Amino acid sequence: MEETELIALAQAGDKKALAKLVKNYEQTIYNFAFKICRNKNKAEHIMQETFYSMVKSLHQFDGNSKLSTWLYRIVSNHCLMLARKLKNRSFVSLDDEDGLYEEKYTADWNTLPYKSTENEELKVILDEAIEKLSPEYRMIFLLRDVEGLSTEETAQATELSIAAVKSRLHRARAFLRNELNRAFQK
Amino acid sequence: MKEEKVTCKEVMQHICESLREDLNSERCVAIKKHIDECSGCQNYIETVELTIDYYRKYNVELSDDAHDRLMKFLDLEDGD
Repeated sequence: MEETELIALAQAGDKKALAKLVKNYEQTIYNFAFKICRNKNKAEHIMQETFYSMVKSLHQFDGNSKLSTWLYRIVSNHCLMLARKLKNRSFVSLDDEDGLYEEKYTADWNTLPYKSTENEELKVILDEAIEKLSPEYRMIFLLRDVEGLSTEETAQATELSIAAVKSRLHRARAFLRNELNRAFQK
Repeated sequence: MKEEKVTCKEVMQHICESLREDLNSERCVAIKKHIDECSGCQNYIETVELTIDYYRKYNVELSDDAHDRLMKFLDLEDGD
């Protein structure tokens, strides 16, 4: 059955259609929530809250955006809400844009012992690097580059301007690349 | 036409701003030319791409238990 039919049925109160929609997106939403908060328990909590919000407000979904973009907006809001509750974290400032492009030492990425993300050491490096970014920057990088949304869809999902998305994206890319480069030199 | 000169730093910034964007301005042509001739900038592009790729491939699987808890939380049942 087409997604638009499932949505129409779910909006009319069909619980089987609703369950199918949840099943179609649960892996995507869980994975995205994990990538933002880097914690499986928190990711599961955010996933549950996201689908609870979806169930409550699906009648308001007007089909002007893809359902996936709409869900990314909901899950992004829940991630930000959780991050704001954990105020004691401090994040790196990316205001000094010039510093992002002054990387003097370049590691040889071709000779790294770990090429696969199954490698636990690499996972730690990836976690530590992205955890230094504030959730606002993390979200843009993940939506645009990792989930593959367009710049316009990313702007829709985060309710930011296209210019703001682009600005945060290029700073996040440069920062993460530099963090990995430093870690790979060790 | 006067050839536009660009520095590595400008190229790095451009790469981070416009990776995967389709750009054909005069400035982009100058940047592409610079990249063709600069191994440092080629390396930078490769490593930005690799950074993205690492994060893209780092995924977690939703367990069956977590799925069951979600359906219960939403008061839904699995269909066929």
